[in-house]
Amino acid sequence: MSNFRQPSVLPGFGLTFGFAMVYLSAIVLIPLAALVLKAGTMQWSEFFHVILDPRSVASYRLSFGASLLAASVNAVFGFVIAWTLVRYEFPGRKVIDALIDMPFALPTAVSGIALTAVFAQNGWIGRYLDAFGIKVAYTWIGVTVALTLIGLPFVVRSLQPALQEVQSELEDAAETLGAGRLYIFRRIILPTVTPALLTGFALAFARAVGEYGSVIFIAGNLPMKTEITPLLIVIRLEEFNYQAAAALGFVTLVISFLMLLSINLLQAWGRRRMVAAGH
Amino acid sequence: MSITLDQVTKRYQGMPVVNDVSLDVRDGEFFVLLGPSGSGKSTLLRAIAGLTSVDHGRISLHGRDVTNVSARERGVGLVFQNYALFKHMTVAENIEFALRVRHVRASERRKRRRELLRLVALEGLGARLPTQLSGGQQQRIAVARALAHKPEVLLLDEPFGALDAKIREELRRTIRQVQRELKISTVLVTHDQQEAFALADRIGVMNLGRLLETAPPDELYARPATRFVATFLGAANLLLARQTPEGIRFGAAPVDIPGAERADTRREHEVVAVLRPEEAELAPTPEALASPFIGRGAVDEIVFTGALQRIRIRLSDGAGAQLLGPESNSGAGMLEASRTQREQRAFPLAPGHSVAIGMRRIHVLPTPLSSYTAFGASVEEAEQLSRHSFLVDLAARMKTRVNVRVEPGLRMANNADCSSGADRGGVAVLATAPDIISQIEFLFHQGVTEALVLPPPPTKPQRVLIHWLDRAARSDTMAVAASLLRHVAAEAVYVGIMPPGTPDSHRSLGMRALLDARSEAQAMHSLDMRTELRFGDIATELAAQLGEARDQMLILGISEIRQLRERFAALFATAPGRPIMVVYRPGEGTRPA
Repeated sequence: MSNFRQPSVLPGFGLTFGFAMVYLSAIVLIPLAALVLKAGTMQWSEFFHVILDPRSVASYRLSFGASLLAASVNAVFGFVIAWTLVRYEFPGRKVIDALIDMPFALPTAVSGIALTAVFAQNGWIGRYLDAFGIKVAYTWIGVTVALTLIGLPFVVRSLQPALQEVQSELEDAAETLGAGRLYIFRRIILPTVTPALLTGFALAFARAVGEYGSVIFIAGNLPMKTEITPLLIVIRLEEFNYQAAAALGFVTLVISFLMLLSINLLQAWGRRRMVAAGH
Repeated sequence: MSITLDQVTKRYQGMPVVNDVSLDVRDGEFFVLLGPSGSGKSTLLRAIAGLTSVDHGRISLHGRDVTNVSARERGVGLVFQNYALFKHMTVAENIEFALRVRHVRASERRKRRRELLRLVALEGLGARLPTQLSGGQQQRIAVARALAHKPEVLLLDEPFGALDAKIREELRRTIRQVQRELKISTVLVTHDQQEAFALADRIGVMNLGRLLETAPPDELYARPATRFVATFLGAANLLLARQTPEGIRFGAAPVDIPGAERADTRREHEVVAVLRPEEAELAPTPEALASPFIGRGAVDEIVFTGALQRIRIRLSDGAGAQLLGPESNSGAGMLEASRTQREQRAFPLAPGHSVAIGMRRIHVLPTPLSSYTAFGASVEEAEQLSRHSFLVDLAARMKTRVNVRVEPGLRMANNADCSSGADRGGVAVLATAPDIISQIEFLFHQGVTEALVLPPPPTKPQRVLIHWLDRAARSDTMAVAASLLRHVAAEAVYVGIMPPGTPDSHRSLGMRALLDARSEAQAMHSLDMRTELRFGDIATELAAQLGEARDQMLILGISEIRQLRERFAALFATAPGRPIMVVYRPGEGTRPA
């Protein structure tokens, strides 16, 4: 405890710590506990019946699969965008920088409808993709596109400060030491920004798992095919089957927690490796 | 030669940041590039490393032209001010980086790493991360890393900039030792002259993108060629003196001072002399001085700096007039002196004490431009001219002064016969006037040798045209142009003019003369000129060229006063308002090499 109690410009450690605890409890811990308790009122058989129902399992696969895929796509292209914004000066840079935050601000239903209009079979882009036999709207690809859109800002905003810190001097140094561009990218730039990239990835993933509004329009919501877990939960709620909804919510919670935990462990392991590395 | 730069120029948005630098660094030499920030020294270093492309000129390393070779293949060792260590790698991985890139076997890498860690005296720290080391240790690692691939050239960009004084000195010694041990050609960039003195075999001083002078530290300190180097390397008092056939004269009395050499002794003229603070002698009375007496003054301020005592002395009238400095125009000259502990004990001083000042040794700068004197027929005229923005700028950059002189004789200058040889300070400055030729003639007869004619509108020349009428004026005109161009950010153009209808067979001679002039300017005055050849009447052609663009000026060299009226009457009558500097050198004008 004494470790926490560093002297600080703001007085009252007890007060602020207490406030933080109450606040977190009221909006995070207590609702989560209520969820667990609600699920806990079920019989074990009932519980397993709900969560292992083929329709539920299909929805987990779509939700977590599409979220992982979307977060991965964002990791790659978000890196490119962040790099462009940090490293180059070009007219309109500020405007593009501001545009990155748009998915944050837009009501998700609006982005969902817009995406559907564009990617539908007769939409601006969907029309051309359709010629190649690629259907986006009302398939799992559409779900992924929607989740990519809403996850992009997380990756870009996590990476920007990290990239700013990679001094161009480091690249100059590596170059004079004889390293080629690919080598510099792999051995100097990427390792330096990996923690930030993982953070961005984890945030984008977490956001995608919980996403509802933008997906339901473009997904088509065919049971077993394009139905995401959050939608299934809403359907159960509309049937007044609160216990089933709580059980599904509980599963989502557990899987999300495990995945975020493993990303955090990966980061911690990376940091330890950096500190402990030696010969 | 391990590093050869040949007329290297680098521009950013049209402005030259490295301006025509030529330099040879010898094998195993420790060369220091010294200059204030923004002088282009770091850009030049990056150009040598291959991290910056050049717009003009060639760079070779050990005889191999590398101008178009990438940094990766040049393989120099480069050390940065902020270490630029790879923070996610251990010290060992950092040092082995260049070897790993080259696919050197692990056992060999390990051997080389141990060697390098021993060299920089950090054995056993291989497993640490850079962030676990102090600044000084990190910079040692950076040096070791830069040496891993056995580069032929080591480049250091302000390597001590981020360190405190004590560690700085320690690291300085390490780097000097490493350099001696490996005998590697080294270029270090710094703005700190102490550092340059401590490390360099030779120093090159840069300012405004130009490499001004290159010499061993002691020589550069004792015998600088330019005001900038004199004042940038250590403290210096700049004084105006007169060079006479008998020797140097301060004020009225001739003083015989050893060490006053290298000046143009053929004619009597004003010169700029450098007096280092430690060469000024202080005594209670002029008789007690061991060196020539130059004046009296009152102690204004005493600063204790440890081994030395620094003293500012307010010179009393007479002596103060000789001193160049920020307050020199008001006549309140401040002389800087420094004394050792022994001198302090022999003659204790406190602020307010009156002292006699002597000079043990001075150095005369070889520059032909000393000070400026604005001439006018009345006080108002002369003072107005002395406030001309071009003149004020130029004088400030040259750290010299603008005197004001009323000369009623200018009004009736036609009886230009009185060669009284009166004392005139430096360049005479005149305002444009209908009878300007008569005025210049009058002043030249009075002993003036350079006249600057200024038109009223303010101007900032981007281009300086240079022309001399005959070979006699050539070398001195070049010297004046070189001195002026060190203080003006402008390009120099020598204009050669041949009579109209010159037969083709003679044209090649004209071209030869241009090229000769260019190489002489380069060799003797380190002045880079472009050249242009024109055909026609000289005055008309020069007037036409001055008319082409607004921000230009002309430097004109003549060897006889009458040439001005006979050949250039049309130029002064018709030329649009541009500054014109006339350099007059009578008789045989070739400067001894």
